[in-house]
This record gives sequence, structure tokens and C-alpha cells, in this order.
Amino acid sequence: MGQLLQFTINGLMAGAIYALIAVGIVSVFKATRVVNFAHGYLIMFGAYFYFTFAVLVPQAAWAPDWLASWQPGWMMDMREGLPMFSPLAAVLDWLANVPRILLGLAGALLCNAALGLVIERTLMRPLMGQSVFAMIMLTVGLISILSGSAQLIWTSDAEFVPSLAPNTPIRFALFGQTIFLFGADLANMVIALLIFAGIVLMVRYTKSGIAIRATAEDQSTAYSMGISVPKVFSRAWVLASTTGAVAGAILATRNGISPALGLFGFSVLAIVLMGGLDSYLGVFLAAMIVGVLEALTQWQLGGEWAGIVPYVAVLVVILIRPHGLFGAKEIERI
Amino acid sequence: MITGNLKTSYGADEQVLDNRWKRLFLFSAVLGLGGIAGFGNDYIILIACQMGIMVIAVTGVNVVIGYTGLMSLGHAGFVAIGAYATVIFHNAAGGIIPDGVLTLVAIPFAVAVAALAGIVVGLPSLRVKGLYLAVATLSANFIILFLIEESFSAPWTGGMNGINTPTPNLLGWALDTRREQFILIAALAVLALLGAQNLFRTRVGRAFIAIRDRDYSAEILGISLYRTKLTSFAISAAYCGLAGALFAYFYARILPEQFELQLSLMLVAAIIVGGMGRMMGPVFGVIIIVMVPEAIKVSFGALAGGGAELAMIRAPLQEIAFGALIVGFLLFEPFGITQIMDRALRALNRWPFARG
Amino acid sequence: MLAVQDLYLSFGGIKALQGVSFAAQPGQITAIIGPNGAGKTSLFNAISGFYRPDNGKVIFDGQDITALRPDKRAELGIARTFQNIALFRGMSVLDNIKLGAHTRLKAGVFDALRYFGRAQAEELELRADIEQRVIEFLEIDHIRKAPVSALPYGLQKRVELGRALAMRPRLLMLDEPVAGMNREETEDMARFILDVQEEFGTTILLVEHDMHLVMDICTHVVVLNFGAQIASGPPETVRMDAAVIEAYLGAAA
Repeated sequence: MGQLLQFTINGLMAGAIYALIAVGIVSVFKATRVVNFAHGYLIMFGAYFYFTFAVLVPQAAWAPDWLASWQPGWMMDMREGLPMFSPLAAVLDWLANVPRILLGLAGALLCNAALGLVIERTLMRPLMGQSVFAMIMLTVGLISILSGSAQLIWTSDAEFVPSLAPNTPIRFALFGQTIFLFGADLANMVIALLIFAGIVLMVRYTKSGIAIRATAEDQSTAYSMGISVPKVFSRAWVLASTTGAVAGAILATRNGISPALGLFGFSVLAIVLMGGLDSYLGVFLAAMIVGVLEALTQWQLGGEWAGIVPYVAVLVVILIRPHGLFGAKEIERI
Repeated sequence: MITGNLKTSYGADEQVLDNRWKRLFLFSAVLGLGGIAGFGNDYIILIACQMGIMVIAVTGVNVVIGYTGLMSLGHAGFVAIGAYATVIFHNAAGGIIPDGVLTLVAIPFAVAVAALAGIVVGLPSLRVKGLYLAVATLSANFIILFLIEESFSAPWTGGMNGINTPTPNLLGWALDTRREQFILIAALAVLALLGAQNLFRTRVGRAFIAIRDRDYSAEILGISLYRTKLTSFAISAAYCGLAGALFAYFYARILPEQFELQLSLMLVAAIIVGGMGRMMGPVFGVIIIVMVPEAIKVSFGALAGGGAELAMIRAPLQEIAFGALIVGFLLFEPFGITQIMDRALRALNRWPFARG
Repeated sequence: MLAVQDLYLSFGGIKALQGVSFAAQPGQITAIIGPNGAGKTSLFNAISGFYRPDNGKVIFDGQDITALRPDKRAELGIARTFQNIALFRGMSVLDNIKLGAHTRLKAGVFDALRYFGRAQAEELELRADIEQRVIEFLEIDHIRKAPVSALPYGLQKRVELGRALAMRPRLLMLDEPVAGMNREETEDMARFILDVQEEFGTTILLVEHDMHLVMDICTHVVVLNFGAQIASGPPETVRMDAAVIEAYLGAAA
């Protein structure tokens, strides 16, 4: 029982990150009707950018020392006499990393936004108005380009990257069971959920969000109503690549950095279809369900089995509910 | 130049090779294959074998993506099934069926297993269109590889470590050199292409195209979407299964990692480059998709004699080249090389009176 | 031949059909008319099987086909054309028409892969049949190899009729066969429709806005307005019907 609860909570934490990745796929789909098969590779780039600005740049000879490790006097004083694994020490370790974490996040966000813009402007924009099939195939081609480029650019072995929050172990009791968590995981979940909620609210209530929704409903009508559809396209791609950057940073701290990060995109694609492509709520639930299922599978059957959970889940859901848990069924006009 | 339509029967009008350039092309292609089998050096034979196997698989992908308009990103899974089914069949039936017949049974067996798998994987196509299907097939690819790698199937598949493959034997003729295998591969590739060409001259193939072009209109003509889509998937998977069987015979050992998403993407890239929904598309596409990495390899070899560092760069460069081919063709020549060839052929037919 | 009984169909809150009942007599031309949005195309879609009615029955030849899939209905001999031409744009005229004969052909996958033999015999026989029954009949022999996407509108409509004819249907449903055509093209099409009726004895059901055409060639007219059937009968009676005049011209007229 205690184990079940523990693994469920682990699953929810993983699910939140899936949701954060999924939000990028859903946003691009809503605006452009294109499912971005290469989204996982955008995330991989986010992870590598975070690594670059949080590890490589601070290590460089020209970088100031405080960037690599910030050690103001008061922090040194507080460290005096602390035991090795005390929570406070972990917080202080994290504080020392804060400058490079911030630099890493800022760099990842900016670079990924630029990458998203470049992809949209140079590759997707020329295909605007043509078949969606071609656009989706183009993202398939992007997979190879991005994956190959990452291997060309970042040849060095990835090192440890600083986690976004203090990684103190947290132990608490729930329903009489002791639950054990890491602070960073909890923080990651909170960050992911906040961003997810923020985007849902933005799409629902802000002007640019409404433009996205209008474009989703009917591109040419939106265009004729004075909505700049190309702008909506770029915004959606920037939204996807920046949320992807955060997700990449989080994944880098959780799973390490490797070209295999791109594969996350495919499991999340499965999750997105399971939830129903254009429904944020459905996708959120699907992400959580898959996260928990994966954690439980890992507990019962081992890690390899966990890897195919999203794929089996999506096949089952598609066969039962073709448009996902919450997807809108399109009525075809004949 | 063509000066008029001089056909005297519907039969003549229904011919595929309806002008002399096409006939000339076919004869020279067959001659070329014979030439390779007879005089090609080891390197040429190796490349030609790889191309032959790929052509069969890409023809299968073409049936489903190009002609039926169903997106699939999981066809490497069917190639894997064909390859493993062949090896498993050899190992299981080795003592029972005489060696000379074994290959002749193993290949149809592998094709049939792949076709069955195709029907299963194609099931979602009954409920959903394009995109969902792409993800469903992608998922199937992951699941198939997982099933091959997992420890419960390791006794038959060798798991992650792969498994050694048998030598094909046709009625006592052991094809133990690559040159001999090339004859088998080339013959089957030509047959596979002819089969596909025939398919689209009849009701079966026409129904596929009808579904691609306008599915409700196909339905109104009495074409069952369910049956037709599954048939398309089965045929396409069967082609990939055949390619898989030849793949297993050709290499000394097969590993699950050879059939990952990368291969599925390569098959899709080949069909986009060659020309979707066109008979010669797979041939042109495969030539490019195999030659570009080779060209990169050769030019790197010439540059530095192949240092370890350069080898590190080579693999990603090849990967980028695949992607760039897909993207470039989609942007600039969406109908692929076949389209370019068509233009050239038209110009040739009108020469010297008009160009283009 | 075809009978529709008490058909109800709605999409969410929109009531597309509200209790439509009529019968198309064998060998006759029946027209369905009504203002835009009256539910004519919805009725067609319900008859050909794309929409499942909420209530009511579609009966063809004494058989209840309400639950059949569109392709099964086609096998029974129901053919149709669409308001916005639904040809296969990537194919030639000939291939489009050949597809009409799909259900009559027998070649299986293995015949097809071999081609020579059964499939070839069947194809050549089909070709001869189509040339005579469809291409010559509709006078489209000059464009048989042309890709349909390159044809003008009027010819595309004719090819679509040809595709339906290749099915050798017993019931032919035409959704606005002359919409967007000029006088001359309309007259051609009217002639073809009458020829089909005469030569093959096909029962024809059509939706049309062109009142001249309807009044000239139809023997029975069904009038819909807002999904409800407001009149039904021979053209002479229907054109005098008060409800019909009101529906078309408004209450004041």
C-alpha cells in the first residue's frame, strides 16, 4: 500500500512534465493543424541549451567566478558547522548555483524561441496553405536534421546539470504511510503545472490566445477578420519551443542529456492523441494517467516495460475512442 | 516524337510501357542489373543489394502512404518482423524441412507473418485518419521492437544481442556469396515492382487511390473502407516482410536496433524523395537515399583517410542529410524525382520541336 | 423502389430533417426541391448512408437499409453524385469511371499482383463496356485520358455522372446536377438525364434549384422547408401549392 502511494505520486510528478511537453504539441496543433513530430527534438535542444548556459558557459575561462559558483560571505558563514546532508546545506548548494541556473534558463528560453521562429519562418511558412500532410512530413524530416545537428554541435559528453530547485529529500506521512520525495522533483512538478495552467488561461482569455483559437476554428475566416494568421503561427511555435526549453531543462536534470531525449517527444505524442489533440483538459488527464501507469508498471514489471506504456495506452484508447478521451469529433460536411 | 494516338485496341491502350522511351528504360535497367551481377565489384554488389532490399520495403511504404494516403511511421517494424520470422523459421524447422526447400518456405512464411502484423497494426486506420494512424504505427514500431528485445522472447530472437542468420538455399543452390544473393534480391525486387505496378492497373489498386483522393466518394461507389485499408496495410507490410527476409539472409547477424525509428524515417524519406504514389518513386528515392550517405562516407574518406574523429561527425551528417532531403523535396519538388523524370521524358518525346 | 418513412435527423440542436416521407417510383424521375438549408442534401446523405437518422426508415426494394454502411448500399445499386463534384482528382477520366464498376469486378489481390490472366481479361472487358455504355453515351471520348482536375466544371459534372452510370445503378441520385451551369450545359445535362431514364430504365432522384429543369423532366416533386416536408405530388400540383409559394416567396406574396 505504501509502495502504491509512493509510485502513484512519482507517476503524477512525471505526468506533470509530460503535460508540459504536451502543451507545446497541442498549441502548435491548435494554431496550425500541424502535429509536430519533431517536438521531442525541440526539447532535446532546450536541454542542450540549458546545459550550454548553465554548465559550459560558467566553466569558460572568461566567465566570472560567481557565475559558476556564487559564494557570498554570508553564505560561507551559514555553511560553518553544518552537517553533510542537512536540508539547509542542500538549499545553500542550490543558492550557489542560482546564477547559472538563471542564466541557463534564460539562454535556453531565448535560443529555443529563436530556433522555433527559424523553423516556422524558413520551413513551415512556405508550406502554409498547402496540404497538412506535407507540413507534418516536414516535421518528420526535422527529426533527422535536429537530431543530427545536436550530435554535431554538442560532441562532448554531457555533465551533471544543476537542478532547478534545492534537491533536499523530503519525507512525510500520508494516510499513515511514509512518502519519500526529492525537493527538485516536487518543484519541477509545480513549475510544469504552473506553466500549463498559465498557457491554458492565456489561450482562453488573452487577445493573442483568442487569435489562436479563432485560427484553429477556421484559418481563412480568421485571416479575413483581421487576425494575422502568420503571426499566430509564429507565436504558437515560439510558445511550443519555449515551453519545450523549460521541459528540456527539467528533463536534463532528471534524466541527464543525450540525443535519446528526443524520444520523449514520441511518448508525449502518444499521450496527446490519447487525450484528444485539441483538448488541454484531455491531454492533461492523459499525461497524468500515463505518468501513473508508467510508474506502476515500473514498480511491478521493471523499467523496460514502462517505456512502452504510452504506446500501448494510445493504441487502446484510439481503438475505443478514436478521437481521444476528450477530442472533438469532426463532423464531415459532404 | 509522338505524332498521334495510333492504338488499335483497348488492350494496346491499357499497356504500361506505352512509348519507346519507357521500353528502352526497362530494357536498359534489366541489362544493368545483369551487368552488376556479372561484372560488379564487391563494393558495387554490396550497395546494389542494399538498394534492392530497400526498394522492396519502400515499394510497400508507397502502397500505404503514396497510394492509399494513410500515413505510417512504423514500417521498420514490419521489416523487423520479416527478418526475425525468417531466422526463427529456419531455426525451428531446420531439422524437419530439407535445406533446399527451407528458404522457399521461410520467405512466404515471413511475408505472411508480416502481412498479418500489418492487418493488426492497420486496425486503428478503421477508426482514425492520417495523423492518428501515423502515431499508431509509430507506437506499433516501438512495441514490436520491445517484444523482440524482451527477455521472454530472447530464446528465439536473441534479445538485445541479436541473432545469427542462416544462408539461403534454393533447391540445393547455397547462396553463400553476396553476388549470388544479389541475383535473388534483384529478381525479387523486379518482381515486387511489377506486382505493385499491376496492382494499380486493377480494381484493387484503384480502390486504394480512390480512398486517398476522396474517401466518402469511394464509399459511395461500393468500396468498403475497412476492407480496403486493411488490404492496403497487409500488402504494404508483406512487401516490408519480404525486404526483412532478404535483409536477414544478406547480413550475418540481425539486431533490434537496425529496425528502429531511424529505418522507418529512411523509408518515408525515400518515398518523398522518389515521388509518392508513383511506381518508379521507390527506385529513384532509394538510389538517392543510399547514395547520399555513401557519398558523404567516400568524400570523408578522401579528405582525411577516415580518422576516428571524422567518423564521429559522419553519422550525424548522414542523419542531417536524410532530413534535409525530406525537407528540401517537400519544399521544392513535392512530387519527387519522378516528376523531374516526367518532365525530361516529355521534353524528349517532343524533341526537337518543343522543350519543357 | 425507394421509400423514405418518417425520417428525423438532427445535429445537436439543429433539426435537419423532421418527418420526411416519400417514395420514388421505379423508372421515374423524382425531384426534391426547397430553399437553401431546407435539408435536401441531408436527406441525400441519409439515403446514401453517411448520416444515421435519429428516427425513421430508408427502404430500398423492400429491404430496410437504414443501418447499412454506404458501400453496402452502393452494392445494392444506389449511385449518387455530389453537389460539389467529388471526383478523384489525381486520376484520369477513365480511371474515375472504371472505379464506378468496382463492385462488379472480381479480381482479388493475387490476381491483381499477377495481372495477366483473370485480372487482365476482366479489365479489358470492363474497358470495352465503359467505352460503349458511358464514354460514348455521355460524349466524353475526347477527354478519356485527361486528368479530371484539368477539366472545366461542366465536363467534371458529366464525368461524375459517368462514374455513377458505370455502377449500372438501379437508383441514381443526383445532387444539383446542373448547379452553376449555363443554359446550354443545362440542356445537355437534362438530355443525358432523360436518356439514362429511357435507355437504362433507371430510377432517378434529384435535388435541384433550377425550376425549369425540375418542372420539365420530373414526374414527382417533394418540397422541403426547414427540414419538414411541405408538399409532394406531380409538378403541376406542387407549383400551385400555397405552402410552396409561401416557402419560396415569403408570406406576403
